[in-house]
Amino acid sequence: MSVVHPAGPAAATIATLWWVLLAGAVAIFGLVMGLLALAFRPRESTGGDRVWIVGLGLVFPLAVLGSLLAYGLVVGERLLPREAPDLVTVRAEGRQWAWSFSYADAPDRVTEGVLHIPAGRPVDVEITTVDVIHSFWVPRLAGKLDAIPGHVNRLRIEAWAPGEYAGVSSEYSGPGYREHVFTVRAHDAEGWSAFLAGGTP
Amino acid sequence: MNDILRLSLPLTVWLAAFSALYGLHGVLCSPRWDEAALGLAAGRGVLGLAGLLAVAAQVALLLALRSGRFASPSGFVRATSVGLSVVALVATLWTLIPVAATSTCL
Amino acid sequence: MNALQRHRALTRIWASEPGWTGWLTTVNHNDLGRMFLVAAATFFGIGGLLAMLIRAQLASPRSAFMGPEVYNQVFTMHGTIMMFLFAIPLFEGLTVYLLPKMLGTRDLAFPRLGAYGFWCYVFGGSMLVLSLLAGVAPDSGWFMYPPLSSSLGSPGINSDVWLIGITFVEISAISAAVEVVVTILRYRAPGMSLDRMPIFAWYMLVVAVMILTGFPPMILGSILLELERAFGMPFFQVAEGGDSLLWQHLFWLFGHPEVYIIFLPAAGVVSTILPVMARRTLMGYGWIVGAAVSLGVLSFGLWVHHMFTTGIPHMGLAFFSAASTLVAVPTAVQIFAWIGTLWTGRPQLRLPMLWILAFFATFVIGGLTGVMVAVVPFDWQVHDTHFVVAHLHYVLVGGFVFPMLAAIYYWLPHMTGRRRFFRLGETAFWLIVVGFHVTFLAVHWVGLLGQRRRTETYEPGQGWEIINLVSSIGGFVTAIGFGLVLVDVVVNAAVAIRGSRDPWGAGTLEWAMPTPPPAYNFASLPEVRGRDPLYDDPDLPVRIARGEGFLGTPRGNLRETLTVDVASGRAAHHVVLPGNTALPIVMALVTGGAFVGMLLKLYWLVPLAALGVIILAIRWVWTLGSRTDLGPQDVGRGLALPAAPEVEDPPGWWGTLFLLIADATLFGSLLFGYAFLWTVAPNWPPPAYLEPGALMPALAGAGALLAVLGPRVAERGLRRSGQAGAGLGLTLAGAVGAAVAAGLAIRGAADPQAHAYDATVWVLGGYVLFHAVLLALMVGVLGARAWAGFLSPLRYGELRILRLWADYGAAATVLGLAAAGLPGALT
Ligand code: HEM
Ligand SMILES: [Cu+2]
Repeated sequence: MSVVHPAGPAAATIATLWWVLLAGAVAIFGLVMGLLALAFRPRESTGGDRVWIVGLGLVFPLAVLGSLLAYGLVVGERLLPREAPDLVTVRAEGRQWAWSFSYADAPDRVTEGVLHIPAGRPVDVEITTVDVIHSFWVPRLAGKLDAIPGHVNRLRIEAWAPGEYAGVSSEYSGPGYREHVFTVRAHDAEGWSAFLAGGTP
Repeated sequence: MNDILRLSLPLTVWLAAFSALYGLHGVLCSPRWDEAALGLAAGRGVLGLAGLLAVAAQVALLLALRSGRFASPSGFVRATSVGLSVVALVATLWTLIPVAATSTCL
Repeated sequence: MNALQRHRALTRIWASEPGWTGWLTTVNHNDLGRMFLVAAATFFGIGGLLAMLIRAQLASPRSAFMGPEVYNQVFTMHGTIMMFLFAIPLFEGLTVYLLPKMLGTRDLAFPRLGAYGFWCYVFGGSMLVLSLLAGVAPDSGWFMYPPLSSSLGSPGINSDVWLIGITFVEISAISAAVEVVVTILRYRAPGMSLDRMPIFAWYMLVVAVMILTGFPPMILGSILLELERAFGMPFFQVAEGGDSLLWQHLFWLFGHPEVYIIFLPAAGVVSTILPVMARRTLMGYGWIVGAAVSLGVLSFGLWVHHMFTTGIPHMGLAFFSAASTLVAVPTAVQIFAWIGTLWTGRPQLRLPMLWILAFFATFVIGGLTGVMVAVVPFDWQVHDTHFVVAHLHYVLVGGFVFPMLAAIYYWLPHMTGRRRFFRLGETAFWLIVVGFHVTFLAVHWVGLLGQRRRTETYEPGQGWEIINLVSSIGGFVTAIGFGLVLVDVVVNAAVAIRGSRDPWGAGTLEWAMPTPPPAYNFASLPEVRGRDPLYDDPDLPVRIARGEGFLGTPRGNLRETLTVDVASGRAAHHVVLPGNTALPIVMALVTGGAFVGMLLKLYWLVPLAALGVIILAIRWVWTLGSRTDLGPQDVGRGLALPAAPEVEDPPGWWGTLFLLIADATLFGSLLFGYAFLWTVAPNWPPPAYLEPGALMPALAGAGALLAVLGPRVAERGLRRSGQAGAGLGLTLAGAVGAAVAAGLAIRGAADPQAHAYDATVWVLGGYVLFHAVLLALMVGVLGARAWAGFLSPLRYGELRILRLWADYGAAATVLGLAAAGLPGALT
């Protein structure tokens, strides 16, 4: 369930982003608190509007935020569901309080509560709902995306290695919300073929 | 009242332009634009044009607020309104970054 | 007349009635401010109790203390109470109490409106709390996303309580905002030009305008959702052409500005107190004004950052990510201007300053995590986890509660006239600040470990137990701290020793009066020559008490004050404010009848209550104005000013102007919603459009034209020959034309349950109809007033107010009916 223990490229990119954000935030917090503390030492008064307001108030945040925005947009672009050669498409349909999954490569397979994907390949999840709003989230693989009535949203996920990954609905949906969970099972190449061929996973 | 207008106009124009741009983008990525069959490249062009228009409006406002004819008689309001006009211009440019930097409808 | 006689005379005029009825009939801002503060503190207690229940529940895994049904009500009500019944009313109370004093005037612009708002708030808030006791409280989360909050997800009464109760409460926010804007723009001490205003007034001007433009989208959303729930009009149901995302847009169009509406008053408090504590004046006054205005407007361009995970294309999100990072810049300007003020002053560590330091330490963290969630991909991970819970509490508690505690300790001597004697405050300070960070700092981490917000419990073994336990302990420590603050305030208010008039050595006008303040604030209104009148002239309080300012000679029973020119602050008009009356509370009760009728589906009660409100409103305006020409009024110091009934822009005109700004925002939101459904909702176009024909447009156009002409003709007639009748008749004809056109539009639309388009046409038509009927009523009342002698060639200001409404109604008619009819005309 942990965002900081990524198991796929999207989650890893965001985890790195988080550590960068954290380091920056700690540094800025330290700077502000240091300046605040120094205001209370006995001293001659220092600095005019120019230093404080133009320098620290305008130039400094504009520079920091400009680079941050650029970083964020680049990362965001990288995570989008673009065309890819070995792309797999699956569909996730939420309802109160269960998930069913279907597969473009195996049209008559529907699984309840377990999403099967191949490991090491990009997977697009088409997310929708039949009742209220839900959200599809597998923290160790990627960020979340909502299931909105009447809309189909597309999320790119990928697992580096075969295994099981916990998934949850992360948009509040009423009394059964906490237990509105699912599992993502990533298969190696054989396992995936077997699954598509109808074998019991 | 005129002074209140001088202070609030530039940023309000930013807000209007910003919302309009977002709305326009919404239209571009909606089924309605597909129906019009103009293509996404044209859509991006429209966005760029709208952005240019917004910048031009801000520059015009900035010049007006500094000019003899529209500037406030009060020194304080003049300085503050020109300052806010610069803020609005910067905000317009800043919030236009995505038009150049991101993919249109993914 | 000596100072004591003046004090007695003015007190008799301005004080509330003796005895307990005084609380029900008072319209004085001194009372209302305190009443708001006490009510908000009470709701804080209730909200805090719910917070303790939440923390008790989350302290251990697999907790069986509350099931999801109860927990959902508890967190929804915690959030709702804190945002709507605590935060906003608290700063409103502070503002109501302080603003006239800081501005150097005797009361707010519309005393009865303020009282009406207060009672709407108390009644609406009580409705919500009662629902909690009855176990039918709202349970869809404080942002009430449909379809979960609509009939599909919540068939019970719970959501109706929220939609109807909160809308009732919002009447108070809107009326307070109108009152605050007009007070700041017009009711200041003579000589107080815009650049001499106390910085708090600038902040509150921005906040009040934000309320007027920020709340209407949510009020509209609530109306639409209630229409969907009660009458099946499918605005948010995708199968019938609605879209649940529309609600999210309308809600966050309000919700994000709301955060700044809560933060800016706190920033105003910091900007006021911090320089006093640093024993200098504020660094960069103009910069701060610019920053506050920038924050106010920029915050309206952020709303989609609450919707980063809804599937909007990346470029759309990127716009809002850019705007959300940018908004940190004006915040930084303020933070560093404050620190610069401290560096260049000689700061003292007194209790209000301690709270401001706690504000810095906490709010900066909240701001930094705010920038983090403004980065789109990061938000994709932490959205709807406890990371966001921690972030929002750092912002709200650090950025609002702590500055408000500074404010309480700073102005307590003003309200009580006593010096703080018992020193519980320092202990409470450490308990709250340490307790708060223990409660929420590690919660960021548990969010990153995957704990979702709004889940009533969790399984052990995910590394969440310790953090949650520690957090709960911190929460209880914090609560004990708040309990101590309460004790401290009550004890120090009741029994501490008397203090001096200006204990902190501040320069603003609220300290130029005896404490506790007399009901009239100023025995005479000072002439102001700088930003800190008390620094410019330390003897000012004495001279005010001696009656050396304006209006130093009380006349009869009149609550006299004066207004100034907006920009220059030159004295402009002489105003007489209304006195104590039960009208506001009765009107609030009757208004409540309409809301209760809607809630309990006793629909016959609604028109009845509306009729009651109309009758009371007529009674309300009847006491205003004058039946004789007054001529210029002597205001002392050799100055005579025109009386308010004899000017072209009386206070009511200004109030109407700003109320209409709110109204126009509501209408704009409706048009936005219409356009949004058009482009985004999957099931469009509708089966059929309204066929406008020729009659509806003709009637609408002619009606609008007459409505625009009528008041102008009436004014010419009145000023030339004392006859307004013809013009009023034209206006009435215009209103009737618009009403019939709206009726035709509604009749021409299909069943409003069939498609969101038809439902929208109904609402557009209803909106036009409402304004047409209102205009007709006003014409009727003005006709009666003309007949009763309230209008004369000199006293034509009321026609100017009518003109504002008529112009607005005409514009709404044309725009609204065109929007409804155009698609049908084009296809
Ligand atoms: C010591 C005091 C407080 C504690 C311990 C506390 C605790 C909490 C907790 C644990 C939640 C998350 C509930 C959940 O998602 O399961 C929450 C939600 C919330 N709190 Fe507080 N809170 C406190 C004070 C405040 C204050 C002062 C405000 C506002 C001024 C506030 C506003 C909110 C809001 C808006 C929510 C979101 C509710 C929702 O998800 O619908 N809280 N609080
Ligand atoms: Cu926000």
